[in-house]
Amino acid sequence: MKGTHLGEFEELVLLAVAALAGNAYAVAVKEEIEEKAERKVNISAIHSSLYRLEDKGFLESEVGGATSKRGGKSKRFFKVTAYGYKSLKESQSLRQSFWNIIPQLSAQE
Amino acid sequence: MKQIQPPKLGRKLLSLLITDKLYDEFEGDLAELFQDRLEGLGKRRARLHYYKDVLLSVRNADLRRKLKLYNPLVMYKNYLKIAFRNLLKYKGYSFINITGLALGMAACLLILLFVNNELGFDGFHEKKANIYRLDEVQRFGSVSEQKVALSMYPMGPNLLADYPEIVDFTRYWTAGRTLVEFNNKQVYMDNLVRVDTSFFNMFDFKLIEGSRENAFLEQQDILISETLSKRIFGSEDPMGQVVKSSTGSLMKVTGIFEDVPEGSHLQFDALISTALWDDERRQNAWGSNYLNTYLQLVPGADITALEAKFDDFLLKYLGDDATDYYTLFLQPLTDVHLGSMDITHDYNNYNKFARSSVDIFLILAFFVLLIASINFMNLSTARAATRSREVGVRKSIGAFKTQITGQFMIESLLLTFFALIIAFGLCTLAVKPLNQIIERELSLNLFLEPVNLLLIVATTVLIGFLSGIYPALVMSGFNPVSALKGTVLKSSGSVFRNALVVFQYAIAIAIIIGTVIATDQLNYMQSLDLGFDKENVVTVGMYDDTNEKYELLKTELNNLSNVTGVTATTQRLGNNLHQTSMQYRADTAMIYGSSSFVAVENNFFDFYKMEVLEGRGLSDEYAADDAGLSFIVNETLAKELAASGRDVLGMPFNFGGSDTLGTIVGVVKDFNYNKLSLKVEPLFMSKQPWGWSEINVKVRGGNIQQSIAEIEGVWTELFPSRPFEYQFLEEHMDQMYRSEQQLTKVISILSGLAIIIASLGLFGLASFTVRQRVKEMGIRKVLGASLQQIVIILSRRFTLLVGIAFTIAAPITWYFMNDWLNGYAFSISIGVGIFLIVGIGSWLIALLTVSIQSIRVAKSNPVETLRVE
Repeated sequence: MKGTHLGEFEELVLLAVAALAGNAYAVAVKEEIEEKAERKVNISAIHSSLYRLEDKGFLESEVGGATSKRGGKSKRFFKVTAYGYKSLKESQSLRQSFWNIIPQLSAQE
Repeated sequence: MKQIQPPKLGRKLLSLLITDKLYDEFEGDLAELFQDRLEGLGKRRARLHYYKDVLLSVRNADLRRKLKLYNPLVMYKNYLKIAFRNLLKYKGYSFINITGLALGMAACLLILLFVNNELGFDGFHEKKANIYRLDEVQRFGSVSEQKVALSMYPMGPNLLADYPEIVDFTRYWTAGRTLVEFNNKQVYMDNLVRVDTSFFNMFDFKLIEGSRENAFLEQQDILISETLSKRIFGSEDPMGQVVKSSTGSLMKVTGIFEDVPEGSHLQFDALISTALWDDERRQNAWGSNYLNTYLQLVPGADITALEAKFDDFLLKYLGDDATDYYTLFLQPLTDVHLGSMDITHDYNNYNKFARSSVDIFLILAFFVLLIASINFMNLSTARAATRSREVGVRKSIGAFKTQITGQFMIESLLLTFFALIIAFGLCTLAVKPLNQIIERELSLNLFLEPVNLLLIVATTVLIGFLSGIYPALVMSGFNPVSALKGTVLKSSGSVFRNALVVFQYAIAIAIIIGTVIATDQLNYMQSLDLGFDKENVVTVGMYDDTNEKYELLKTELNNLSNVTGVTATTQRLGNNLHQTSMQYRADTAMIYGSSSFVAVENNFFDFYKMEVLEGRGLSDEYAADDAGLSFIVNETLAKELAASGRDVLGMPFNFGGSDTLGTIVGVVKDFNYNKLSLKVEPLFMSKQPWGWSEINVKVRGGNIQQSIAEIEGVWTELFPSRPFEYQFLEEHMDQMYRSEQQLTKVISILSGLAIIIASLGLFGLASFTVRQRVKEMGIRKVLGASLQQIVIILSRRFTLLVGIAFTIAAPITWYFMNDWLNGYAFSISIGVGIFLIVGIGSWLIALLTVSIQSIRVAKSNPVETLRVE
């Protein structure tokens, strides 16, 4: 699938947005990934991915939810689009199809 | 509770990095993280993290910034297309604009070529930094202190022996035109020069054949130039051939050198060693200066310190009072060409030129280019105003300010490069005639060297940038609404543009006034009564063999019907005459001094119609006159002699060191035998039996060619082996001013260019101003204004501008030209007339330029002009 290829990090971000179901804004996505993947991620990387994914049509967004903590600035909430889900699924089934044909090494040992 | 806010600087930075559209969200996210960290990490580290986040956000700098469908390439294409369409739409304007700039550029390029040539004179010698010419300052009683290029024969070898800083020397002692014979063929060597054997070690003149080190192994060895070799030997192998000089000495060719390049102040076509003349008498000939000496110093030698030691040197060899008369100084080789204007007796300095003239050229080149650039800018701005609709449309459909600026900058750069290409073309056309005027061999190849090409392109970009930036900024600043309505046309930048017109006109006027004054001065000098009659005088060189038959030659020439007089001299008028020592008896004591001297035939004073103020001229009737014991002095020397208290007439007088004294028999009115920038020096004359170096023949004015042919007939009959050669004295006198003539010619061309370019600019500007006021003029016409009235209204402003320019330029020019004229002993006074003529002239040119436009408008039918909308 030319042009819609998802990078590893992009896929993570996309999954995190899906998992956060409606509460996915940059800071939340960052925390989610840091927690699940146990790695440090800079907010700028999250921003960059989120907006690019939106440009590519995997995500859609709307503005809302300003808090005083944010100095009154509103959040942008992202949602996975249907196209985004489809890509995630494809990615997952692609991986699965490989797993299905990998010999069960650990079982033989 | 008051919250701690993220650092302001960080926020500011972020706002610069991130596009406005996303800034709020980004800032919000970063602020939230900051607040989170504040609890866990403390204020300091939270701030640190905040800065880190901001800095890392650089990666998002281009996020969502570009318009999705923006493709700059398409726009560039569009800019180019529009630029070309505009060029073609306003052909006249484009022509004026590009031509003006191209003219300025071409002039500038050619001048740089010339300046480069002048600065590079003698640059091909590898040791140039260590080679110096030995010059003298001479101070002899009556003659004013003067720098001379001459030095004494024994100086070179003794300096080399006495000072370790000096590693080598060569003398350069011209033998002049020398007739040689080979296989019964007579050929002149134009300039045979006696040099020392080290000559080719110091100077890098290229040898084609022969050895550099052993160039002058034998005394009679001679090296000749390629051209001379072809003239003498044709296709024969010249090496080892023997030629015979007219005096009978034999010379063997042991080397051929490439013809001396144009860029060398030393010009010769044959070289022979000084060894042949190096006898004991000459080795001790201290006190007579007749050659040039070049010294090669150790690298990094202290020149001032060495020069200071020369006083001791003079005292050692010339005696106790030598330093009263002489000071030695060193002139760097690379300085000889441009830095010798104040040095006299500088006979071996080919195409000698004044450094100040080079500076003048550079300044002029700069100003011409400046005028052209201003023009370009002015026209671009004026014309840009007519494109306000285009800008309005562009802006309305979303062009950014930077895009409009960029568009006009690109156009400006495009036009400058166009101009550059045309300038190169103009250079190619102009370089040949220019070479003829200035007698140089300039080549455009210099521009093709990568460094120079890069420099030229860089300058062109700079010009394009500087002259494009103003119109570009003006255009991009248009308010789209008014731009579309067409109301921005009138006001924008007119003060600035007017100032520029004033500026360029002021420069042009200044250059022209300067040129007119300089040309006037030159003409004045050439037309001034020199104190002798130089008209229709033919000079013919004399040699040892021809001098033997001098009397016969004189008689036969006098018999010719077209010849009205024949005289002879040892030095041609129109030179700085050689100096010699003199002695005279005042009331009691013998006084020694020095003065210029020339030996002349008895009838010299009648021949040249010189005015004898006291006593008499020389005459064949007196035995003393023929014996060389009667002397004629000029007014200046007479004044000096009179200071001793004795009558000048009858004063015992002779050359210094003579045993017997002669008498002064006459005082002749001062005549200008030298350039008029110099004052007349003391001079005495007498007839001496040394042989003449030339005869002067005065011919009738009517049929000069016929007269020359007759003289040639007599000459060839008497001296069949001597080719006949002659020069008119007037020609020779004119040559003295050649450097000045070349200067004024080039400056005249430049000033012409300056006014043309300035007028082109004015023309273009006028046409646009007039176009803007078409409607106004239409209304005026309808209301009854006459053609004249309309022309006057339109021309008034330009008259004012030229007036202001003139008021600025005139006093400045007056000041500088007055300063320049003070450098001449005989100078014109600057009249108001010149200023008035140039002022009115430039005003008329401006008026004419503007009128062409305004008359067209004034004549047009108001129905047409008012129908614009």
